[in-house]
Amino acid sequence: MFFVTYLRRELLGRPRQAAVIAAGLALGIGLVVVVSALSSGVREAQGKVLGSLYGVGTDITVTTAVQPASRSGGFNQITPKPYPRHTDVLTSSTLGTLNASAVSSISTLRNVSAAVSGLVLTEITATIPADNAPPQSSFQPPVQTSVVGVDADDTGYGAFSSARLAAGRGFTAADSTANVTVLDSSYASAHRLNVGSTITVAGARLRVIGLVQQNGGSNPPQVYLPLARAQQLAKLTGKVNIVYVQAASAALVGTVTDEISKLMPSAKVTNSANLAKGVAGSLATTAKLANNLGKWLAVLTLVIAFTVASLLTLAAVTRRAREFGTLKALGWRSRRITGQLLGECLALGIAGAVLGIAAGFGGTRLVSTAAPNLSAIVQQTNIGKDAFGGDLGANGGVFSGQVGGPVTTYANPSATHTVAVPFHAPITLTAIVLAIALAIIGGLIAGSLGSWRITRLRPAAALASVE
Amino acid sequence: MYTLTGVTKSYQKGRRTVTALKVPELVINDGDWLAVQGRTGHGKTTLLQVLGGLDQPNTGSIILDGHDLTKMRQSQLTKIRGESIGFIFQTFNLIPTLSAAENVEAALVPGPIASAQRHHLVSEALDSVGLGDRARHRPTELSGGQQQRVAIARALVKQPQVLLADEPTGNLDEHTRDEIIALLEQLWRQNQLTLVMVTHDSRIARRAQHLGAMKKGHLTVWPNTHQSPTSHQAPGGRHD
Repeated sequence: MFFVTYLRRELLGRPRQAAVIAAGLALGIGLVVVVSALSSGVREAQGKVLGSLYGVGTDITVTTAVQPASRSGGFNQITPKPYPRHTDVLTSSTLGTLNASAVSSISTLRNVSAAVSGLVLTEITATIPADNAPPQSSFQPPVQTSVVGVDADDTGYGAFSSARLAAGRGFTAADSTANVTVLDSSYASAHRLNVGSTITVAGARLRVIGLVQQNGGSNPPQVYLPLARAQQLAKLTGKVNIVYVQAASAALVGTVTDEISKLMPSAKVTNSANLAKGVAGSLATTAKLANNLGKWLAVLTLVIAFTVASLLTLAAVTRRAREFGTLKALGWRSRRITGQLLGECLALGIAGAVLGIAAGFGGTRLVSTAAPNLSAIVQQTNIGKDAFGGDLGANGGVFSGQVGGPVTTYANPSATHTVAVPFHAPITLTAIVLAIALAIIGGLIAGSLGSWRITRLRPAAALASVE
Repeated sequence: MYTLTGVTKSYQKGRRTVTALKVPELVINDGDWLAVQGRTGHGKTTLLQVLGGLDQPNTGSIILDGHDLTKMRQSQLTKIRGESIGFIFQTFNLIPTLSAAENVEAALVPGPIASAQRHHLVSEALDSVGLGDRARHRPTELSGGQQQRVAIARALVKQPQVLLADEPTGNLDEHTRDEIIALLEQLWRQNQLTLVMVTHDSRIARRAQHLGAMKKGHLTVWPNTHQSPTSHQAPGGRHD
């Protein structure tokens, strides 16, 4: 076919120009592919962070702030005695409590596909020294263990959802008030516990029925209890302190967030978007780079690439004016000549796309190989309060007071915790399709300008031009 | 074949209007060979361009086989050029990235001839100019004379009625020039073409039936009574 022959000859016959145009387009498109992959990688990493925090499948969490007057857990001021004592309490010191009926109210909302409640607790075991003991000599730091009460009827959401069973079994509905527990396998290993072992939580002896593993970078709970049993041990019967919600679709997360906020005005409703805003660390920095600097850099490079391609094509038309004039003299209509030129430009665009996608793969491979694990520093949504209503800081002590006087004990929650996130930049099909589309658009823009120039060529003037 | 009446072509050069062509009347009959001479810049190429529909005159009419070229749209002129008019240029104007055969085929592409048939016609055309064995050569691999032969093949492959040649030997050495002119003369005779040729060379012009002199856009035509012996006196008239 003459069209293909002419096109092929022209591209191969002027290799330098073809290479410059294709390379320019490839650079812009490669950058778009890399930025798109970085954005996908960041989104994936953020999803992992959220998944590690709240489990897979959770779009929204509902919590409330701790109120000093209603601070839960029975963790009150302790008056020292003339002898040392041991305490083991289960407390909701980082989150306030909600009525368990809140989950039913949320479930009835139109765009909610699932809602499950839970209890995020901290077990604190400590030895309180005698009132006459020298503080320094008898001070033993308390031990904190993260404990989560999960709905035994529905472990598909929430903190338990991303756990993988490593030994034993998970909870069933029959376990709701039983003295059973599932442990995180790292915690179990550190404490030499197995399926069948027993542990004590808040004074209750619990039998280990299973071990689970979570994602390597997450900060999972150490002990899982059936929700009803956790409520009993924490003296929070009828209460929960977190509701995990799944929206009917990703597009409805914002709508559901608003609906829950209207239903429960005093609650804190957090979705992945606003949680992501609260994530600091290198993950957040990478997200900003990819979304802001990276995006604009890609746009700028594309604009430059398209401009260069268009200018080179216009220059080529001027240089080939006599050739096009000759074709007109031979009886070629402008339409046929512009079709030929558009074909050449499209072919260069496709070559640019192929090179750009290859460059994008190379670039993302480099990023994935060279990039260190990212970290996400996640702020706790609520800070615990002490007996006097003051904030519990990240480094707050367990004991305050003086020998012989009242001792206030309060939990020592972390205000932040760091999640390590392995980062890689995946190239999606969408990115490849976008790259090809951009290349075609770039080719069409360059070809259109050249075609416009051709249609304005008068044959006589074109034949008189000097190459 | 051609009847020109009151044809003028002017260009604006700054404030000045330059008359490039002024032909009150001209008739070129079927099968005529008209050689037009004149100094550079006196309108010879402009004459060929208006005869070929590559440019439009400012006034007058140009009737080609009953069709007034001055009243046609660009698309109609393009069609007529594709079917009826062949061009030969001083600088050959071959497409450098195409082979000799592909350059010749380019003249057939706008027409209705199928690809397989085109190849056959291209081979015949190249054979007729003695370049059947150079079909796959690029223009850069051919001598000047060979390139002009390819251009002649390209002009004649579609079997036009009219051949317009603008200094066809201007870029060739003496020996090659004679070869090309002999070839053109042979083809003119064989195909009963109407040939309008612009040339500086009097020796070439003397081979034509009719001579024309272009001076500052004004054309004067007369029969060539001193035609060289190798030329054939085809029937046809002339007008000043």
